[in-house]
Amino acid sequence: MKNNMFNILKKELREMFRDKKSLSMMLIIPIFIPLLVIGMSALFESEINMPVTDYNTIGFDYELTDVEKNIIEELEINAVIDTVENLGEQLESGEIDLYVTKENNVYTINGDDSDTTTYASNLAESYFNAYKNYLQREYLVSHNVLSDEVLNIIVLEENITVEENYFASYIISYAFFFIIMAITVSATYPATDATAGEKERGTLETLLTFPIKSKDIIIGKFLSVSFSSMITGLLSLILTVISLKIANHMFTIYEGINLMLSLSSLIFAVIVIIAYSFLISGLCIAIASKSKSFKEAQSALTPLTFISFFPSMIIFMMGITTTNLYALIPFINYTLIFTDITSGIINYTHILLMLSSTIIIIAVVLKIIIKEYKSEKVLFG
Amino acid sequence: MLKAENIKKKFVKLTKKKERIEFYANNGISVEAHDGEIIGILGPNGAGKTTFLRIIAGILEPTSGTVTFDELNYHDNETEIKKNIAYLSGNTKIYNTLSCYELLHMCADIYGVEKKDAEARILEISKTLDMDTFLYNRIGSLSTGQTQRVNIARCLIHNPKYYILDEATSGLDIISSQIILNFIKNEKKKGKTILYSTHYMEEAENICDKVIMINKGVIIDEGTPEKIKKDTKTTNLRDAFFKLIEGDNYEE
Repeated sequence: MKNNMFNILKKELREMFRDKKSLSMMLIIPIFIPLLVIGMSALFESEINMPVTDYNTIGFDYELTDVEKNIIEELEINAVIDTVENLGEQLESGEIDLYVTKENNVYTINGDDSDTTTYASNLAESYFNAYKNYLQREYLVSHNVLSDEVLNIIVLEENITVEENYFASYIISYAFFFIIMAITVSATYPATDATAGEKERGTLETLLTFPIKSKDIIIGKFLSVSFSSMITGLLSLILTVISLKIANHMFTIYEGINLMLSLSSLIFAVIVIIAYSFLISGLCIAIASKSKSFKEAQSALTPLTFISFFPSMIIFMMGITTTNLYALIPFINYTLIFTDITSGIINYTHILLMLSSTIIIIAVVLKIIIKEYKSEKVLFG
Repeated sequence: MLKAENIKKKFVKLTKKKERIEFYANNGISVEAHDGEIIGILGPNGAGKTTFLRIIAGILEPTSGTVTFDELNYHDNETEIKKNIAYLSGNTKIYNTLSCYELLHMCADIYGVEKKDAEARILEISKTLDMDTFLYNRIGSLSTGQTQRVNIARCLIHNPKYYILDEATSGLDIISSQIILNFIKNEKKKGKTILYSTHYMEEAENICDKVIMINKGVIIDEGTPEKIKKDTKTTNLRDAFFKLIEGDNYEE
């Protein structure tokens, strides 16, 4: 009798591990993370390291001078001379990446919305800058003006720190954010099944005739859903670290980035996963238990899924950093602190505030559901 | 002793026009059941039998009235009372993903049956109810009759003092129904108290010591089957019931 909470937990886990849908939600979602990491890495790598021969075929509808030919050669441009009509057709068929037309001293760059046109356009701009520079210099010399003094009347230097591995950092942050998303998605199915599903199948009435306190029923169910979410979260973390390691070996965009999480970072990452799993499981159970059917519960949980994604996504895109206030706000705090931890920043105050806020929310949510299960409304409300 | 006094249960129904209609599913039902008694709760569908038995089983709360088991009430002794009762309805659903053995073990744990006794009890019940061939099968793979036998086994596992059976034979074939009726008779012999609702009047006549006839949430007659037949000058409970509700526009 004393272990009724454990009996419910055991029953829920048994049902969960025997249900194909619950199992697949728990185990398949994390598999998407390596696909995401490798896929995004490959995409960014191909964008960054696109060879010049992929976008250097530029058409001209006029004859080029020797000077122009020299610049073209220097910039490795593959020039195609033809009529406007033919060049238009060649652009459409992808034989050239863009073409230039000329009327007096007005040059027009013509292209489409393809990636290669964008790259070729940059190349064409470099070409015209070089050519314009040559013409300006020639003009000044012919008028006995010191061309260097005019052309370099001001000197512009750049001292901007450029993050060389911008894309890599982007992928890493997204991969860890995806862990939070995976936990959310993973919690919804077992939470629905354990509450609204049990109601729909008619077994809740049987359960309520047993000498079990509502507290034991709810805590047993809550722990089983949390356990499922934690498995998803931990599996996602392991697969994220492994896939980033593999990506590091496969792609040059990760050069210079240290992907090795310290032991303390790993421990705190696991703490965040556990805390978030508890919170999302509690919320999912609270919402799903108010629904009469599985379908109704799934619809009711959809807004929660969005609420859990969007604030985190927005702060992530805006580059907001963790403060004590943010560390208290659910959903935002997990993403921010998780990102901090995986970047090697461990702020104990923030982690403590996050844990305190989580405990308070879970306690309130569980109290509400326990009260609901004490009433007949849970079955006939 | 089980005692239900003046049980009233009000429900609120919303019409299509969103109007609230209040009605009493039970309107002042009282029952007293002593050890070794089988009390039949009879009435047509919608009479309020299920609501009444759900209140007795602690699934529903009465709007007014009291339910006591050996002078203990649900308000103060819910867990204690539930340890001594078993509730079974024709619609009782059990966990399809568990095997019969796992379910019975879980119930034994929940009801606090000692581990060493639980194993022996499961095997004994399995033998009594002829469940040996499917004891380790998942409940989801069983027939309706087999599932209902598992349900009976679940009720027996903790050796309860009170049985609340709501149309437990409804929809079952003749063999499965007989197994349940035999089970009821056996438990009576052991001194157990049984509340048994059914709309099969002949079934009730055969096994009940006392019958309570309910219609539209109120008791229309009560007593031994013989007394009711005598009161209504009929030869069976079925005719007695129709005589009692004469003028209520029921069609036979």
